Amino acid sequence: MDPYLASVLTNMTLIAFLAISAYLVLVVGEVSFGQQAFFGIGAYLTASVTVLADGHVIWALLTAVVGGAAGTLVLGLLTIRLSGLYFAISTLCFAELLRFSLLHIRFTQIIDGRKLGPDGPEGFSNIRWIFDNHYDVTDFLLLSATCLTVLLLLLFGLARSRLMLRARMVGNDPILAQSQGLNPTRYRLGFIALSGAVAGFGGGLFALFNTHIEPAMFGVMLGVHALTYSIIGGLGSPIGPLIGVVLDIGLLESIRQLAAYRMIVFGGLVALFLVFRPEGIISHRLVARLKRQWGSRHV
Amino acid sequence: MDTLQTSLDGLMIGSTYALIGIGFALVFGIMRRINLAFGACLLFGAALAIYLEPWLGWGVWGLFLVTMVGAALASAYVERLCFAPHTKRTQSMTAMIASFAIWMQLDEISSQMLPQRTHAYHGLEMPTFWLGEISVRGDQLLHFCMALVSIMLLYVLLYKTHLGLLIRATADNPETAYLLGVRVPWLGFIIFLVAGILGGVGAFMILSADGYVTPMFGMWSTFKGLLAMILGGLGSLPGAVIGGLILGVVETHAGATLGAEYRDMVTFGLVFLVLIIRPGGLMGVKIYRTESLAQERI
Amino acid sequence: MHGICKSFGGIEVLSDISLTLQPGERIGITGANGVGKSTLINIATGFLAPDHGWIQLNDLMLTNCPAWEFAREGIRRTFQSSRFLQTATLEEQLFQAGHTPEYRNRLADLLHDSSLQSSLHLFPDEISLPVLRKAEVVRGLAAQPEILFLDEPSAGLTADELHQFGTFLNQKLGGQTALVVVEHRLDFMVMITDTVMEMKLNQELQVRAD
Repeated sequence: MDPYLASVLTNMTLIAFLAISAYLVLVVGEVSFGQQAFFGIGAYLTASVTVLADGHVIWALLTAVVGGAAGTLVLGLLTIRLSGLYFAISTLCFAELLRFSLLHIRFTQIIDGRKLGPDGPEGFSNIRWIFDNHYDVTDFLLLSATCLTVLLLLLFGLARSRLMLRARMVGNDPILAQSQGLNPTRYRLGFIALSGAVAGFGGGLFALFNTHIEPAMFGVMLGVHALTYSIIGGLGSPIGPLIGVVLDIGLLESIRQLAAYRMIVFGGLVALFLVFRPEGIISHRLVARLKRQWGSRHV
Repeated sequence: MDTLQTSLDGLMIGSTYALIGIGFALVFGIMRRINLAFGACLLFGAALAIYLEPWLGWGVWGLFLVTMVGAALASAYVERLCFAPHTKRTQSMTAMIASFAIWMQLDEISSQMLPQRTHAYHGLEMPTFWLGEISVRGDQLLHFCMALVSIMLLYVLLYKTHLGLLIRATADNPETAYLLGVRVPWLGFIIFLVAGILGGVGAFMILSADGYVTPMFGMWSTFKGLLAMILGGLGSLPGAVIGGLILGVVETHAGATLGAEYRDMVTFGLVFLVLIIRPGGLMGVKIYRTESLAQERI
Repeated sequence: MHGICKSFGGIEVLSDISLTLQPGERIGITGANGVGKSTLINIATGFLAPDHGWIQLNDLMLTNCPAWEFAREGIRRTFQSSRFLQTATLEEQLFQAGHTPEYRNRLADLLHDSSLQSSLHLFPDEISLPVLRKAEVVRGLAAQPEILFLDEPSAGLTADELHQFGTFLNQKLGGQTALVVVEHRLDFMVMITDTVMEMKLNQELQVRAD
């Protein structure tokens, strides 16, 4: 496969993790502007494990997952009484605080004559895992696409379970949820932690693919973009965020010449789109209607 | 003495944050919405001012006028596209996301008008005053007075005019206001316009004091305004003013003691703490989920 | 509940209200608008905390517990506006609450009603109000609650529909579940309850002699 195309597609899969992370928070009725921070934490953790600790990539990614989940859990516990806009702003502050911390982490070691490790604003370079393991772009695309597919399958399974419906109830109408005996806090924290795990994992893959990460990469813009993809793609199904990602990055790539004007066009399109279809492309109703048709055809 | 100087500088900067914060607070207090594109509107105004400067040649006051008008126009555009179509109570998030999209759009348009990284934004050449060991820049003092005048004008608008009465009534209870014949959608347009004007003044103040503008100004001013509003209490106008001033003072002190790079960190940290400990901000706006659950008519 | 007092912004809405229910007892509560009926239900089901007084279910003290705990312990309610998730079918929502065979059987029994059966695959906004109200009751009863509170169920129903709803209720209510209906349609209340009490502002509940 053409390496350029492969790298674009890989990029899509990586950002998809972040978009799905935002989606998971949206399910329980909250908006997070801070998922990019856990993406970043995952990236740094994975880089550290593979480079500094010479660990196996599985451990590296696992650490990213746990780190991401732990980070979001801390945030979730601190903000347990907040909701709506207050929660959103607090995620923004928390994310920026984390990013500032990354700017000040310097932990370099000399390994094989090279200075390796996170170096403040310079970031973390020489994440050589893909070179050492002879992964070219297409191989990595296969890897990340497979991981994404597994995640999507897991989420589809979740979506069909009562758990997802209950989470949606908590997000959509907490009063109704409580009247059904559901503890909204538990669902909130659970899904927030899950979102952190997903973001962390995506960040880990991102670090491996990029071979160089720095705090500037994990700014607010990244997070809000991911959030937008989720909302445009629609919350009716875990595939929604992926569609949002494909649309934007696809648009970006297909009008390369007009790249500078991309945001002007895309921004306007998004706002217009929301005027006519605020529930996103893959809305819950659409999914339910499709399921209904599918079901009736099989009776 | 140093502390006093720093505090004074902080107040000067804080007054500009106050204006931007008011821009956010106006929209939130009255329409329960956050306009994420606000900072970008201000950037657009400034970019337009610089772009048109060669043609108009009106000097600093030209910059002021165009920045204000540009910001107001952009703000009105945002209102029509992102907020007017989503007026139902449940659609506040949709409106916010739409405004984020337009933030991106306006940022990009402004970048096109400002092709270089930084552009000179001329300020007023004014003497520096000295009170003992404390120095006050003449232009910043003028700006402070402009901010004061703007806030007073806003007060007059809100409390001494019929329009202001309509605005306050809508803020209090949108449904009743609508029933009583207040044309709520049209009101939103006015609010955004006023917010844009005030923000434009604030933008002029900051940019002419600094002497330059960069494309980052959009995000930067959005953060400052939002944080000022949160500090003071979401939606509270006096809160936004106080929040802005406090933000300015705290920030300047942090910059003086810890260094410039810690300045922003302190800002975010402060706001985060406020949210965790007293989310209602300084004015104690009531926000807890359980409370709002109780208020909601079950 | 005992000695419940509640004030809103300086106005005392509920003043020393006490109410005791026996298993299977059915009472109705009526009163003029604004007298505090909604407040009473909200407190009784945990959505509001009283200023004074306590709430006890069998041996359990529930005062100041969150609403979901009330629901977990067996206090269920309906809402004036028949709350349902708008983006899921009725069937999905009714079946999400439990997965045991007993639950399914109970639900199947309760759903033995043609209008409900034919609406199972629809979205709540495609279903008529009388059917939705029945569905809400089914949802509540499927959980085998100790007490079921009905919040103004007659709102939006015609006299015929209300009568049908009353019959439905009488059919489906088990012996052990206590029922509290907050209403102002006396004929309906008499149909489904044994005692009717009246609420007046700042007074205790009093049994209506008629």
